[in-house]
Amino acid sequence: MIKLTRIDDRLLHGQVAFTWTPALGADCLLIANDKASKDSFLKLTFGLAKPPGAQLQIKSLTETVAFLKDEKSAHLKILLLVTSVKDAAFLSGQVPEIKSINFGGIRGKEGSRLISKAVAITEDDVVLIKELLAGGIELEARQVPTDPKQLISTLI
Amino acid sequence: MLLSSFLIVLIVLFGHSEDFLGTTLLSRPLVLGPLVGLALNDFSQGIVIGATLELIFMGNIKVGAAIPPDVITGGVLGTAFAILSGKGPAIALALAIPISILAEMVISGLFVFRPVFNKKFNEYAEEGNYKKLQRLHILSGLLKPVLMGLITFLALQLGATAMKSFLDRIPSWVNTGLQVAGNMLPALGFALLLNLMYNRKMAPYFFLGFILAAWLKLPVLAIGGLGLIIALILTDRTVSNPTGPGDEPDSTGYEPDNTETGASGPGGEKTPALSGNTIRHLFFRSLALEANFNFETWQNTGFAFAIIPALKKLYPTKEGMSRALKRHLQFFNTSPYGSTFILGITAAMEEQNSRDKDFDEDSINSVKLGLMGPLAGVFDSLFWGTLKVIAAGVGTSLALKGNVLGPVLFLLLFNIPHLALRYKLTFTGYHAGTRFLQKLAQTNAMDKLTSGAAIIGLMVVGAMPATLMSVKTSLTIGASPQGIPVQGILDQIVPSVIPLALTLLVYYFIKKNIKTTYLLLGLLLAGFLGSLVHIFA
Repeated sequence: MIKLTRIDDRLLHGQVAFTWTPALGADCLLIANDKASKDSFLKLTFGLAKPPGAQLQIKSLTETVAFLKDEKSAHLKILLLVTSVKDAAFLSGQVPEIKSINFGGIRGKEGSRLISKAVAITEDDVVLIKELLAGGIELEARQVPTDPKQLISTLI
Repeated sequence: MLLSSFLIVLIVLFGHSEDFLGTTLLSRPLVLGPLVGLALNDFSQGIVIGATLELIFMGNIKVGAAIPPDVITGGVLGTAFAILSGKGPAIALALAIPISILAEMVISGLFVFRPVFNKKFNEYAEEGNYKKLQRLHILSGLLKPVLMGLITFLALQLGATAMKSFLDRIPSWVNTGLQVAGNMLPALGFALLLNLMYNRKMAPYFFLGFILAAWLKLPVLAIGGLGLIIALILTDRTVSNPTGPGDEPDSTGYEPDNTETGASGPGGEKTPALSGNTIRHLFFRSLALEANFNFETWQNTGFAFAIIPALKKLYPTKEGMSRALKRHLQFFNTSPYGSTFILGITAAMEEQNSRDKDFDEDSINSVKLGLMGPLAGVFDSLFWGTLKVIAAGVGTSLALKGNVLGPVLFLLLFNIPHLALRYKLTFTGYHAGTRFLQKLAQTNAMDKLTSGAAIIGLMVVGAMPATLMSVKTSLTIGASPQGIPVQGILDQIVPSVIPLALTLLVYYFIKKNIKTTYLLLGLLLAGFLGSLVHIFA
């Protein structure tokens, strides 16, 4: 069961390990990222940051889809982490269980604009966001679980 | 009055300068309260009010870029008005909460505004002018204390008289009600902590802490000590894994294959070019990491500011310096407590880069960015999730009795481990680099550390409702003077059961996703009304 799908370009860090994981009661942190899945250095560092009591899976996007569709993952309480709106949109297209996406942190880059304290999006993101909204997916921005939910539809 | 308001502005300035002073918790109400007390000639009242506020804001933590209510401005002003009006902690609370929420909005505004300077920072980097870059980092960092000091000054000048006459007019029954309400609020702080630490597997430790405090009346420090012993015993037992013992980074002589990591961390065959003194400078400068925090590039200028002593030694040419500065103005954000490890590794990689023409410059940033998130996860949970909780538990329990050792112990318990580790990590990062991480990963040390820390933290949180909260019922069975007080019966069965029940109830509501503001108002209302109809006292 996916407890939360979160876009966060730092993937696993303080807010995730130390506020979201306990608040959700998650027992599986699933990092879905093509780059991280091939980078042994990143794997090493994420392994260190893993909160106690939860398992850590680092998979490519396609492996993630297979993992989520597998019966065996059904009993896990999964916190799914991706770095970009694009990856989140891809996964939500493949995995119908994703009904809601949390925008945790996307740093600013060339051509992006800040829509909430920690979330900056590009025009390409806006297109994807509109598609997701049209598909009935809830999109909300929160850095930590105790933040009030800000709906992305009101921010763009 | 003029002198004391000047002193109070200074205290706010000092509190907000914490961003230059290593996030050492100098700005917590527990520490600033006594200072306000000193400024207003009521030291012991300052200590008690500071401790009361600390309890309420206990679950209020700063992690990542999530900005909590500004307890500095709110706490200092609330304490000041409470002492001036002679109305005590309840008034401090009633003022501190709204003021801190308002002040947080101002600070968020500043964090949105600061990226305006980023263009300037980039220009200076382009010129290789590290001096100007440093200066701007400091100046922009000073904006926050100065701005909040100014706001405090205005609030005192314009509001003090009106506030005092308003507070004087508050009838005593309102004050009593507020006091009871204030006594209930720590339940929210404790529940927020529980929300971070509690799970079914760890539940026994919470209740163990409660039992030790409620029945055996052990002080918080003793419970923390017991927790440490239990954690050591339990984690030691789980160590017996095939990789063998060895928490100590240097004890086993293990030399992993360096080429395997992909990230070419600081390699083996080299004599360090940077002196111990330079590395020490990195540590000292890391204390100002958060000074120019902003919502676009976060701690980037803080990192550049901190690494400059190394860059100065490594890049004598303007061109080299410029490239390096630009590299380190990229987005950065990590836990300040572990930041020096990344600084050390970065210094070692910069050193390699300065020697080796073929060195891949991009790898420096990819290691930095790769480490910042995970290390923040580790250090935020250790320091905010455990050490701060223990230090605050011990500190407030003493300070509530007016004992000045409270704030002192609070700072020492947190900062001795913090600064010692932060200092050491600068050198570990520089000399051992990624090899150190591989070793950590191999020995399972991190897992042991975090689960051990969770045990201690949860035991201390369990002790909190029993030692730090005093909500009693004034109900009696039978008609009043002869009636049997219900509290007496409760005390014989489960002492401190009301604080415990309140804490668990609030925790339940947090789990049900009820907003914290509602919970805060709900507790205030329950306490206030409960006091009016004589259920609570």
